Amino acid sequence: MDTFILLFEGLATATQPSNLMFALLGVMLGTAVGVMPGIGPALTVALLLPVSLSFGATGSMIMFAGIYYGGMYGGAISSILLNTPGETASIMTALEGNRMAKRGRGGKALGAAAFGSFFGGMFATLGLAVVAPFMVMVALSFGTAEYFALMVLSFMTVSAAFGGSMSRGLTALFIGLTIGIVGTDKLTGQVRLAFGIPEMSDNISIAIVAVGLFAIGETMYLASQYVNHKEKAQAVSGSVWLNWGDFKRCIRPYIRGTGLGFLFGPLPTGGAEIPTFLSYTTEKRLAKGEARREFDEGLGAIEGVAGPEAANNASAAGTLIPLLTLGLPTSATAAMMLAGFQQYGLQPGPLLFTNNAELVWGLVASLFIANLMLLVLNVPFIGIWVKLLMIPRPWLYAGILCFATLGIVGAQGSPFALILLLGFGLIGFVMRRFGYPLAPALVGAILGPLAEEQLRRGLMINQGDWMFLIESRISLAIYTIALLSVFGPRLWALLRNATRRAGRTA
Amino acid sequence: MSGDPKNQAAEEDLRLPFDDEAGQGTGKRDLAGLVIAVALFGLAMVIVNDASGYPIRRSYAQFGPEIVPYLVAAGISVMAVITAIMAWRGAFEARDPLNLGALSWLVGGIVIEIFMLYGGTGFIAGSAVLFAFAARAFGQATLLLNLAIGAVLSTLLYLLFRYGLGLSLPAGPVERAIDLLLR
Repeated sequence: MDTFILLFEGLATATQPSNLMFALLGVMLGTAVGVMPGIGPALTVALLLPVSLSFGATGSMIMFAGIYYGGMYGGAISSILLNTPGETASIMTALEGNRMAKRGRGGKALGAAAFGSFFGGMFATLGLAVVAPFMVMVALSFGTAEYFALMVLSFMTVSAAFGGSMSRGLTALFIGLTIGIVGTDKLTGQVRLAFGIPEMSDNISIAIVAVGLFAIGETMYLASQYVNHKEKAQAVSGSVWLNWGDFKRCIRPYIRGTGLGFLFGPLPTGGAEIPTFLSYTTEKRLAKGEARREFDEGLGAIEGVAGPEAANNASAAGTLIPLLTLGLPTSATAAMMLAGFQQYGLQPGPLLFTNNAELVWGLVASLFIANLMLLVLNVPFIGIWVKLLMIPRPWLYAGILCFATLGIVGAQGSPFALILLLGFGLIGFVMRRFGYPLAPALVGAILGPLAEEQLRRGLMINQGDWMFLIESRISLAIYTIALLSVFGPRLWALLRNATRRAGRTA
Repeated sequence: MSGDPKNQAAEEDLRLPFDDEAGQGTGKRDLAGLVIAVALFGLAMVIVNDASGYPIRRSYAQFGPEIVPYLVAAGISVMAVITAIMAWRGAFEARDPLNLGALSWLVGGIVIEIFMLYGGTGFIAGSAVLFAFAARAFGQATLLLNLAIGAVLSTLLYLLFRYGLGLSLPAGPVERAIDLLLR
């Protein structure tokens, strides 16, 4: 029961007034950006990376986690009322949620989403607190070979799962690895790929890469499309409070969604997309009676909102397990948070739990508080967030750009940082336009230097014998998982196509 | 048997993101895709060129800073070949028409801000111009109104971050006047 003692101590950290304020700031920012279409939690954390340096490590990590959770709540609002998911985790919510909104049951959909997010977030955070110490014990036995294997696993799965096209995912990964090379080599002091520019011979700040790719590139991509940036949202109709009948319909989807989210969140498969998808299809398949009719006739079934919303919040908590215990990011937002830790010279992993126990458990405890805050913010005060959808889009995006440049100029103190920012923005834009996923580039830039260090250190210890990489059974198992996660889905698709074809000819 | 077409369409909609390639290719030769392939090759060459210039170290284990750049360059070259094949066979999805005008307003705004910051006009003025141009890129053609809103927003941001968080931002005449007033 050590966990609960630690958690209790964490609660003391989390309830310090300044940390409560950071949590509140985080959840409010998170909800706000979750609501805005086109801006996700990853982008927000990126924007705040440079300016958060003055907040202190515990404060800014609490805020980032609040943004992550808040983004999951807020994403539901734009999915339901606008049918434009604020971020990828809410795509499934839009399917049934928007149908409900069009038929005057938008309030119910929002309520089901908020309570589902709360349910998923609470139980998965509890799961995080229980599971993390065990993961730490496993991770403590890992050496260089195992860590390198884990990073390769992270590289492979993040490239395979995001976006769809594996070749483009890998290309993005290699671009990220190149960015990671730029600067002074830690082990020898050799300056690499700096082309004599002093600002580049110190390593490129991850904040510039993240803000450039995600904020500037994304804004350019949105501007480059011929769409009317002034669309209208559905008004909230009906009460957001659930009655007993609604609640009875939601509870099973909540439990299943939480389970799926918590199971898939920690796997390096790209965050919330897969669990929300699985949750939606499960609810659709299991639906009976009234729900069956609503699914089939496109009337909007509350189960289709409840399940995925519980799943995406649960996956946010699940994602924190590998991030905190192994230092492995499995979603874009988690990668941003890893960059946040690195800003403070902290390396997430088993040692973080012993050296910075106060930070870790304060963070976990603050997640419970953040969830409570979010429930209050999203049920009685839902109207405020809906108003945010009314800000004219041109000014909104222009404001984001100003904020992005402010953060970078302020943290770096030189206009040259802006030239780099523009460069990464253009790269991000081209990648978005040609269907390259951005997350692998970010993960490559963050994890690349760490992987290189493990590899070269391992080579030195083993006198240049590359075989050390595959000598341990644990690392072999990890490589197998990496290969399976990349080729497994494709084999599965091939197999299914083959059986389907066989079925057709028969 | 072709099955129930309606059912099949629904199945297509709910495809897992990694089930297949990202979408239906155009099937036409893609010049822009070839340009990307060439750029990737160029990047690989630059990395190799850089890595080959590192001084050779005679340490007990010769695993110097050049190993990873070579590995990455090899990886990029492979991806460049694959990209070239993809572009040749038209495997990239059809792209929406490019709104070049909007994009130029946006990039122009950032470039002008960079010049203004280097030129010493300070953060507020540069940021206000960026705001006006970016809003124009998103279809808000009222440049003067944009500029006014941008100036107010930038001033607020400056005050918040200069005095609230102690960030040092490039100062010009406006910023120096504010600093004098508040001192």
